[in-house]
Amino acid sequence: MATATQRRPRNSMRLQPLLDIAALLVWGVLLLKFWLTGKMRILLHPDYIWLAYSAGFFLVGLAIVKLVQFVVQVTQSKNRAKTPIAPPHFSLFPPGWGSALLLAVGLFGLQFTPQPFSSQVALDRGVTDTLALTRSQPQAFRAASLPETRSLVEWIRTLNIYPEPDAYAGQKVNLSGFAIHPPETPKDYLAIARFVITCCAADAYPIGLPVKLPGGDRSSYPPDQWFQVEGTMATETLNGKRQLVIQATSLKAIPEPASPYDY
Amino acid sequence: MNQLNNTLTLFFSLLVEAFPFLILGVLFSSALLLFVDERRLIAAVPRNPLLAALMGSLIGCLFPVCECGNVPVARRLIVQGAPSAMAIGFLLAAPTVNPIVFWATWTAFRDQPEIVFLRVGLTLLITTIIGWVFSTQKDIRPLLQPAVARAVRPGEKGDRVSFQNSGAGKPTLLQSGTFILGEVGQPLRLDAFSGTASMSSARPLPEKLRLMLDNVVQELRELGGVLVIGTAIAAIVQTTFPREMILSLGQSPVTSVVAMMILACVVSICSTVDAFFALSFASSFTSGALLAFLVFGPMFDLKNIALLASVFRPKPIIYLFALAALLTFLFTLLINIYFS
Repeated sequence: MATATQRRPRNSMRLQPLLDIAALLVWGVLLLKFWLTGKMRILLHPDYIWLAYSAGFFLVGLAIVKLVQFVVQVTQSKNRAKTPIAPPHFSLFPPGWGSALLLAVGLFGLQFTPQPFSSQVALDRGVTDTLALTRSQPQAFRAASLPETRSLVEWIRTLNIYPEPDAYAGQKVNLSGFAIHPPETPKDYLAIARFVITCCAADAYPIGLPVKLPGGDRSSYPPDQWFQVEGTMATETLNGKRQLVIQATSLKAIPEPASPYDY
Repeated sequence: MNQLNNTLTLFFSLLVEAFPFLILGVLFSSALLLFVDERRLIAAVPRNPLLAALMGSLIGCLFPVCECGNVPVARRLIVQGAPSAMAIGFLLAAPTVNPIVFWATWTAFRDQPEIVFLRVGLTLLITTIIGWVFSTQKDIRPLLQPAVARAVRPGEKGDRVSFQNSGAGKPTLLQSGTFILGEVGQPLRLDAFSGTASMSSARPLPEKLRLMLDNVVQELRELGGVLVIGTAIAAIVQTTFPREMILSLGQSPVTSVVAMMILACVVSICSTVDAFFALSFASSFTSGALLAFLVFGPMFDLKNIALLASVFRPKPIIYLFALAALLTFLFTLLINIYFS
């Protein structure tokens, strides 16, 4: 590998640093762009956004330093032979591939607008009113004292601690989420759901509660549309399972929130 | 269309989360390679092989490098007379047992802190056992590639012996900026760090910084490339494979572990960021399988076998691989059966 590196023609010796600089710059800009346009909230948990934009600043800075170095080296090309070069690494790729790949993906990322996951993903992953088994239980949480101020995830957590649905019957509900049409439930029900993330979109998992619609038919409440749901809690037997259901009094369509996940 | 969008969102979310940690890992490894002198470490190795193996496994805390950076460092340790127990312990443990990897794993799995601690604990246990096994081979040279073996002075610690270059009669470590073997054309020139050992001395600071920066860019380029490929695989597997298939594979205590170990080997993702990769499987695979991925991946993967081959002969690599794979399988299976 090293000897191959040494035999590289002069042109690629010049091209490689430029490719590196471009890749670093594009990735720095990409991270900063996701941050500035607020799209980072679709990709990451808010706690880690600072890491991503710090990395963005670092990469842009590094690209600028390397660019200055490169310009200086080219203009004083006599000294080039003398300046020590860090010896080449071993790697899986031929030299240049790593940078080219990074550059290509970075450029593509600049064109791409991340979208929150759709209701189909939620169905694929299985919406539950329990936190999945592989999720460990939250160590502590504060449920809002008033039922009508609980968010969806707070309801789910409360329900996980004390699963008896009758305990919540008649409590007021006011929460938001997006609509899912689970195929197995009757047509006058939909599920109101949210994705919960702990780190980044990769570990997003859906939680949801069934909603009994006031109007009867769910076709006027399309999937993926966000709703503010008001109503009261009741116990019903759905799909052979006795569970908590929101008896909705009103479903108001709302725009998708800037940070669509719950934490 | 929706599917594509979901895959891409997943892909970029993993990359955006992993990139800062990759940068941190690369920065540390570059800085330490230039500023830390590992000869002092070798001088402090305990004589007891078990302790030496344990110490070797813990040294990773001082060299937070991922598996791409640690093979060259391990080779420097071997050449400078480190006992085999220590060198093997370091080789296998350093990519996992270090603060940056710990932080990254914590970030990814803060919901399941047991994964973080078990990852470090199991790695230490397995690498110490393997280091101990290898310590029965008193003379490490028969295990090494001939070119490396020639450079080793067995049984002597690097600080006590003025280590002689095989060709020129000058102490190699004092020749700043040259390769350790000093002989052009040796196969060892495959990687960089054999040379950077001597960079820690006798160079002015600005030059060190410049070299460090070069090293940062070089590692970012290469590890970034691997990261992109690994992330793409994770995103595609997550969104296109039928969920039932993944679940049926991922929920059995045995197949889930085997599947994740094979995946770890193939994906070759860097240990500073592999926690995020594993995270995307967290909801569908057993904890033991996730641990198998996190413990075994940094010890062995496709990329790393090529690196190991620059130091060891094929047979010891097979032994290392078999021991690491079997121990990982055994322990993670026990965790699956008894603890989850």
